[in-house]
Amino acid sequence: MSFNTLTFITLCLLVPFSLTANDERVPFPGEKPRGLNLHALVGADIQVSPDTRIKKGVLLIRDGMIEKVEKGKKVPPGYRKWDMSGKTIYAGFIDPYLLTGVNSGKLLDLKHDQQHLRATAGLSFIGTPSTRTDPGEKGPGFEVSGVHPEKKGINGFQPDEEKWKNLRKHGFTIAHLAPSEGILRGTGPCVLLGQDNPNQLTLKEEVAQVMAFDPVGKNQSPPVYPNSLMGTLAVIRQAFFDVIHARETSLYIKKNPSSQPHLPHAGIRSLQKVLNDKEPFPVWIEPGSCLMENRALILGEEFGIHPVIIATGDEWRRPDLALSRNHSYISPLLFPALSKFPEDEDWEQVSLDQLRAWDHAPSNPALISKNSKSLSFTTSGVGLGEFHENLLKAVDRGLPEEKALAALTINPARICEIEQFTGTLEKGKMANLVVVEGDTYFDKKAQISSTWIRGSPFEYPVKDAGDEDGAEEANATEEKEPEKRTARFPHDDRKVIETPGSTLFTGFKLWTCTGKGILSDHDLLVRDGKIFAIGPNLKAKAPKDCKIVQSKGMHLTPGIIDCHSHSMILGRVNESTLPSTAMVRIADVVNSESINIERQLAGGVTACNLLHGSANPIGGQNAVIKLRLGQKPDEMLLQAAPSGIKFALGENVKQANWGDKYTSRFPQSRMGVKTFFSNRFTAARQYGVQLQQAKQGTGPPVRRNLELEAILEIIRGERLIHCHSYRQDEILVFLRTMESFGVRVASLQHVLEGYKIADEIARHGAGASTFSDWWAYKFEVYDAIPYAGALMHERGCIVSFNSDSSDHARRMNLEAAKAVKYGALSESEALKFVTLNPAKQLGIDKHVGSLEVGKDADLAVWSTNPLDYRAVCKQTWIDGHLYHELKRTREREKERAKERDSLVAKARKSLGEGKETGTSEEAKQKFFRFSLETACDLFPHSCRTECNHGKGARR
Amino acid sequence: MNKFATLTLLFSSLGGILAGQTVYRAKKIQATPTQVFQPGEILVEDGKIQAIGKSVKAPNGAKIIEWKDLEIYPGLISPGSSLGLTEISALRPTRDEREVGTHTPDVEAWVAVNPDSELIPVARANGITHAVVAPMGGTVSGVSGLIALDGWGVEEMTISKKVALHLWWPGHGITIPQPNSTGDSKPKSIKEQEKNRDRKIREIDEFFNQAEAYWQTKTSKAEGFREIPAWEAMLPVIEGKIPVMIHADEVRQIRAAIEWAAKRNFRIMISGGRDAWKLADLLAEKKVPVIYNHVFTAPVHRNLPHDLQFRAPGVLAEAGVPISIGLRLGGWSAAHQRNLPYHAAHAVAHGLSRSKALASITIEPARIAGVANLLGTLEVDKDATFIATSGDLLDIRTSVKHMILAGNEVDLESRHTRLYQRYDNRPVPQLK
Repeated sequence: MSFNTLTFITLCLLVPFSLTANDERVPFPGEKPRGLNLHALVGADIQVSPDTRIKKGVLLIRDGMIEKVEKGKKVPPGYRKWDMSGKTIYAGFIDPYLLTGVNSGKLLDLKHDQQHLRATAGLSFIGTPSTRTDPGEKGPGFEVSGVHPEKKGINGFQPDEEKWKNLRKHGFTIAHLAPSEGILRGTGPCVLLGQDNPNQLTLKEEVAQVMAFDPVGKNQSPPVYPNSLMGTLAVIRQAFFDVIHARETSLYIKKNPSSQPHLPHAGIRSLQKVLNDKEPFPVWIEPGSCLMENRALILGEEFGIHPVIIATGDEWRRPDLALSRNHSYISPLLFPALSKFPEDEDWEQVSLDQLRAWDHAPSNPALISKNSKSLSFTTSGVGLGEFHENLLKAVDRGLPEEKALAALTINPARICEIEQFTGTLEKGKMANLVVVEGDTYFDKKAQISSTWIRGSPFEYPVKDAGDEDGAEEANATEEKEPEKRTARFPHDDRKVIETPGSTLFTGFKLWTCTGKGILSDHDLLVRDGKIFAIGPNLKAKAPKDCKIVQSKGMHLTPGIIDCHSHSMILGRVNESTLPSTAMVRIADVVNSESINIERQLAGGVTACNLLHGSANPIGGQNAVIKLRLGQKPDEMLLQAAPSGIKFALGENVKQANWGDKYTSRFPQSRMGVKTFFSNRFTAARQYGVQLQQAKQGTGPPVRRNLELEAILEIIRGERLIHCHSYRQDEILVFLRTMESFGVRVASLQHVLEGYKIADEIARHGAGASTFSDWWAYKFEVYDAIPYAGALMHERGCIVSFNSDSSDHARRMNLEAAKAVKYGALSESEALKFVTLNPAKQLGIDKHVGSLEVGKDADLAVWSTNPLDYRAVCKQTWIDGHLYHELKRTREREKERAKERDSLVAKARKSLGEGKETGTSEEAKQKFFRFSLETACDLFPHSCRTECNHGKGARR
Repeated sequence: MNKFATLTLLFSSLGGILAGQTVYRAKKIQATPTQVFQPGEILVEDGKIQAIGKSVKAPNGAKIIEWKDLEIYPGLISPGSSLGLTEISALRPTRDEREVGTHTPDVEAWVAVNPDSELIPVARANGITHAVVAPMGGTVSGVSGLIALDGWGVEEMTISKKVALHLWWPGHGITIPQPNSTGDSKPKSIKEQEKNRDRKIREIDEFFNQAEAYWQTKTSKAEGFREIPAWEAMLPVIEGKIPVMIHADEVRQIRAAIEWAAKRNFRIMISGGRDAWKLADLLAEKKVPVIYNHVFTAPVHRNLPHDLQFRAPGVLAEAGVPISIGLRLGGWSAAHQRNLPYHAAHAVAHGLSRSKALASITIEPARIAGVANLLGTLEVDKDATFIATSGDLLDIRTSVKHMILAGNEVDLESRHTRLYQRYDNRPVPQLK
């Protein structure tokens, strides 16, 4: 299909089928003749647009369209006169994201539950040849579950009178029926919520390509790709690259006619509209969490897409990340509500985070409104019963009424691109109206007396507002000042403590982690984030405004580097479905909001290697980060770190301990693991050849394959392998297999039997990143010994100790001490196990890992010898900035406790005053629900325990 | 260590050196958590300590053992573990630490201890001489035992078959109602949860009432008495012969347990004790010992201080609560018992005194196990059960050089030292 045709179709879609509501035909004899359809609404205040109001005006309707809006009460003859005095007329409300279909009304809920942790899949996926004939949806299209951009909600569209009745009653006249299933979900129509046939109700066939970061594969049993958040992003990327490939192929075929038919499937064709440069078809993304909103914006930039973002209501967690002034947002109005607890002490288990979420929620709409291009509201995820009440709460908390009104009318009209028909009460627009008793909708007592859809009224009985009790109550509420938000923003205190330009550490015992060993009574001068000088007395070299840190007997070491961590990963650590998931990227899901950052900074950790889990031989791409508390996920990345990828061998990848259901994925034995690697590396090499041919013009364009691309990067030496491994035989065979492809393995992770083949590992040049003393939790670690680190070191391997645990990561200095205990290493060598050596394994030792002039000033200050059990980390510095200081960290923790206490008091007061009565079950449950960013801290992951995946997350 | 030395050690371990008197001379003896002899000497005869002090009078013919550079400590006691009950936590055939059923007081842990578990010598190698082995599963999981980590068979190893009855207190917290989270468990309303927790607590009472009724029927020789194994197993508890070890982490669980025990006049101890520090004064007043298993547990909420669980033992000890420190129960921790001293040590960095830390892994667990008259400190007439170390026991860099268990020198070899030796001696392979 040529682009012109596409454009033509797109243009056609912009025009609704029929603008006139009434047939102009002469009614048949016997048919009851309709009225003339001329209405005059007289005497009401008319809110023409959010900022224009006509006091006591007249609104004329002809054939469903607004004919005239003006001050006065002049009614031409023939019009049915409606006395509207004492009422206010607004433009009909529009729900821009009324989720329709299987998950009707349900917003994305990225949970981290047991189901979510389960794993497996067949071999079938985009990238690896399929063993199933049709792994995606039935019929042609993408071969991935949840990817069906070609689906059109308009097909099979039926008015849902049961539901619509209620929407109309609440003032809604139009809705975008957004699809609710899948990742690339397809499109839905924009329709009038009236009673008519579907042709008459349809305003627009397709509004936008709706996407959601929903790991839908997890819902199947056994799960299929993608069952992780990062997998979802890889799926979206690959789909777009498929579209680009189809385009390139069309161009190629034009130049090189072929007898082979080139027929992009419907999925690709529908996405081609999205990537159309001239008139891109809109994309809306429901990211499902605050941090993922940021990822959606970044993904948009990657592909030149400018998405509308569906907010979660959690934007207060990181407004700087979630919100963008260039983008429009749609927000639900679901606020968490308090429940009465049976016992006072039940409050003890309520966390600051839950209370903050409760207190921030009503302020969140104002926050979005201020920091975005536009805000619209949706009823999805909310009971309609609370919609008005919550809207008023949002207004109380600073959302200006005109913004709130715009969020119900003109803003959704604009993002749905129907503002030429509706959204205001201007002449020539459709007569979609909401008539409210009294002079404002923004009042607790406001009642909707009629909703008009294309000139047809739906009337509602109005309760008598004049009774006395009500009046008194109204007075009472008027006197009460609206409750202000008192909860702080998380990023108010989750940030760097101090950023001096230069700092002099004076009189310290310096653990250099270089040939110089441990230097007593030395100074270290930091300038502009780098180590500037080291020497016995550097006072003279220090600039005037230099910050001075006195030793007082303390020790200074390089910041600790953890070569194996899963502590700050959103969503899921494993894309556990396929045997190779080289296309998924941890960098997409770095959790900058994790509490583990603070806890590990307090243990002197400055950098860590965030790894995909070990559920498959070829896992996902890793991310090396510095623990720069408070910064964006992308700013936490250690930019100089070479790319890497997680591999794994042994019991986990052959699903040995996953239960009886998991016996059909290749590989199921160590024999197959080796076979699998050879297969994928051969495929990647061939992929490289094809790319080369395409580049030289001797072959057709090659579909960009994110899986093979990552493996090809390994072969080219551009991506480091970090391979989870246990038994000596599998390690040796793996090294040999990689050697046969000319690849050097950067680090063997865990490598518990590495001590048995230390010489071979050293000769290959792989680093060995092991546990200090874990063993016997699986059969393959029965031979693990705590002497392994020292033994491998003695035989010439670069050895590190890693945590693989958010707990151990808090005390890696003491893990290092075990290398002294088991194997009698010198203290200086032992500390290198958690500083310089992991830096070498990660390829970042030019920048971090030791105290040398020119290196990054990533430092830890210890109360005493860091290998001593009495040692406490007093300060942690990254890039010369202070991120942890015990005293300040304590103060921060006290402030949080104080804030929590005051929020508990506020919540209990609010409950006591009966303010929380009548809230829905959903709202009450929301109070107990964790955001994705916080839930991920509650379910720690460790590759050690992958064996129990089938049975959930327990140890 | 050469092969010959290994062999000698092996024999000495097998044969024992019970006969005669032995004097051990060390650089330092930590006799009790607060008493240090520097230098120190111990006279041992028939597995018992005959004399201890800066110097003791060596009887004629006594064997003298010179540990000039070493420090002597009492053997360490793990206050709760699955040692010997679990070999490899991922492999079901090797796990025996958990039984089904909600009330199984007639389950005893000692019977399933595998004397040849590879995990036992590994724990021993770092100075652990004894361990309480506890059954898990259900509300009343059974009775724990105390085993010595050396011996030919399980009977020989078992010091006490009945340490305590284990009661797992029901949670008091309102759990999070997650709608349709997994599909298989419907969320319970807060009201429903409240009812549940009240019911569970009533059930505990009811169970002990029934046990008491059984005891009354039996002792009064009432007609129609039938012997029922489960109730029989409850008799030592009802008669006050063994205490109840109550597993509880939350404040309300702990408080409810204390109140319950007071009402029934039971002797109890709290195992777990994550939030016990909040009730430190109450626990001290009631003299309820706490086995604290949470030094390395992460704080439950984001807003809690990062080092809260590190500091908790210090708070408890300061208030006067008798405190033992252990690892969390279960198959997973069986392999890691050797790190017991470092759990205690970490609390020292965060406010626990060194002497209380030492007590928490020696005399306090001995009291818990009812063997304080034999173990836990080095005093005259107690068992000669001690270890010799290269330095401060709590320091990770220190290594344990010798272990004497009731007068016998015990082999400190393990799967780990054997494998180390084997592969340390591997010749450098030739390039192929």
